[in-house]
Amino acid sequence: MRHSSGSKLAYVLMSPVLIYLLAVMALPFGWAVYLSLTNKTVGVPEVFVGMQNYIDLAKDSLFWRAVWNTFVFTMIAVILKAVFGMIMALVLNEKIVARNLFRVLLFLPWTIPTIVSVFTWQWIYSDVGGVLNFLLMKSGLISQPVGWLAAPDLAMLSVIMVNVWRGIPFMGIAILAGLQTVSTEIYEAAMLDGAGAIKRFFYMTLPSIKEVTILASVITTIWTLNDFEIIWLLTRGGPNNGTQVLSTLSYTVGFLNMNLGKAIAISIITLPPLIMLINYVTKRSLSSDN
Amino acid sequence: MKNSAGKQIIVYTTLVLLLVFALFPLYWMIVTSFKSNGEIYSMTPSFWPESFSGTAYDKLIHEKDFLINIKNSLIVSLVVSLFSIIVSMLAAYAISKLHFRGKGLISKSILYAYLMPRAVLFIPLYMVVTLLGASNSIYGLMLIYPTITIPYATWMLISYFKSIPTEIEEAAMIDGCSRVSTMLKIIFPLSAPGIAATFIFSFTLCWSEYLYALVVITKGTDKTITLGLSDMIVGDVFAWGPLMGGSIIASVPVIIMYLFTSKYMVSGMTVGGVK
Repeated sequence: MRHSSGSKLAYVLMSPVLIYLLAVMALPFGWAVYLSLTNKTVGVPEVFVGMQNYIDLAKDSLFWRAVWNTFVFTMIAVILKAVFGMIMALVLNEKIVARNLFRVLLFLPWTIPTIVSVFTWQWIYSDVGGVLNFLLMKSGLISQPVGWLAAPDLAMLSVIMVNVWRGIPFMGIAILAGLQTVSTEIYEAAMLDGAGAIKRFFYMTLPSIKEVTILASVITTIWTLNDFEIIWLLTRGGPNNGTQVLSTLSYTVGFLNMNLGKAIAISIITLPPLIMLINYVTKRSLSSDN
Repeated sequence: MKNSAGKQIIVYTTLVLLLVFALFPLYWMIVTSFKSNGEIYSMTPSFWPESFSGTAYDKLIHEKDFLINIKNSLIVSLVVSLFSIIVSMLAAYAISKLHFRGKGLISKSILYAYLMPRAVLFIPLYMVVTLLGASNSIYGLMLIYPTITIPYATWMLISYFKSIPTEIEEAAMIDGCSRVSTMLKIIFPLSAPGIAATFIFSFTLCWSEYLYALVVITKGTDKTITLGLSDMIVGDVFAWGPLMGGSIIASVPVIIMYLFTSKYMVSGMTVGGVK
C-alpha cells in the first residue's frame, strides 16, 4: 500500500522538474537533431537536406582543424590540471599551518566568473604594458616582448594556461577528498618498515586515489572539451584558426554566418565521445550511491 | 624522521609557488583597477599603485548601462535560483526518499542533463527562446537558465536528503505525520544548510553565465553583467582600468558567497560520486 501511494506522490513531486526538462531541454534537443538535417538559417524556413551538413563538414578542412585543436586543447589542459591538482592535493594533505586558509585561497580561481579570469589573463598577456612580458624580460628569459595571443601555437598555449589556471582547484579539492580517506596507520606502518617517500607515493598513495582522480579527470574532460568562453573571448578562434575549436566554430557558423543547421551538426558530432564520458560518470556516481 | 626538515622545505616551497600562480592574477586585477590611466600604460608596470585612483570605478558608474547590467544579473539569478531550488527540492525528495518505477532512469537523466555542456545546447535553446518571442530580454534567460540550475540543484539535494537517516522519518510517520508533512517539517528543515548552499551555487552559476546571454540578448538595457563586461572592449581597444574594476565588482559577490559555503562546495562539484 505504501508503495503505490508513495509512487503517486513521487510523480506529483517530480512533475515540475520533469515537465520543464522535457519541454525546455529534451524536445528542443530533438528538434535540433532534425534541424541538423536541414539548411536552416536565421529567419528563413528550413528545407530538409538529409546528411548534407555532415558531408560538407567531413570535406571541410577547417572542421578537421577544429577537431584536432579541440583534441590538443583538451588533452594538454586535462593532463596539466590533473598533475597540478594532484600536487595541490598532496601539499594540502600535509600538516601545514593555516591549512584551511590556504585551501580557500587556492580555490579562488575556480569561483570567479570565467569571463573575469579571461580579462585578467588577457591583461597579463598584453603586449602593451603586459606584466608577463615585463617579468620575463626582467629575468632575462626573453629579450623582446612576446605576442602571447598573436601566433597560432603560442595562442593555443596561452588559452590552455587560462583553462588550467581555472581548473586546477577542482581537481585539487576532489583528489584531496580522496586522500583524506586514506588511513594514516598504513603510512606509519610503511614508514616503520623503511619504505621511502617515493615508494610510499607510488605503492600506497597513488592506488588509493586512483579512482577519484580518474572520475574527476573525466568530469574535467567533459567541461574542457566544450570550453567556449575562454577561447572565444581571448582569440575568437584565431589567429589563423590556430585556436579554433568545435564550440567556437559552431558559434561562428551559427551566429556569424547564420547557418544554424550546419552549426548544430557540429555540436551533434561532438556527442558520441561526450556521451561515452557522461555514461562513465553516471555509472560511477550512481553505483556509489547504493 | 631525519628528512622531515627537507620535506617541510619542499612542501612549503610548493605551496608558495601554487599560491603565487593562483593569486597573482587576482592581485593584478585589484592593483590595476586602482591605478591611474597613465600608470596602467607605463612601460614598467608598478606592483603597487603610486596613488590610489578611483577613476576606473568612477567611469564604471557613469558607464552607460553598467548598473542596469548588474541589476539584470541580480534579478535573473535570484528568480532562477529561487524557482529552481523550490522545484528541485520536491523532485529530490521524491528521488531520494520514495519508491517508484523508473527511479533509476530519472536520476540518470538528471545527471545527464547536469553534465550536458552548454556548448551543445546553446543553439536549440536560442531557437526555443526565439520561438516564444522572449529573445532579447531577461525573460528569455529566466526561461533557459533553469536548464543549468535545476539538474545541478536536484542532484545536489538528492545527496543531502539521502544523508538523513530514514529512521527519523519513520518515527514521525508512526506519530501520525503524513509523507508530505514529514517532508516539509523534517527533511527540509534538517537539510537547511545544504539547501542554502545549493541556492547560493545556483545563483553563482547564473551570475557568471556568458554563452546563453550572448546568443539571447543583444539589447543594451537587457544585458547581464558578463555581457556588460565584454561590451567594454570596443574593437581592439581595452580600457584596462574600468575592465578590471568591473571584473572585481562581478567577482566580489560570488567570492563572498563561496566563503560562506566553501565546505559544501566539494561534494557538489564532484557530482556526489567522489567520496
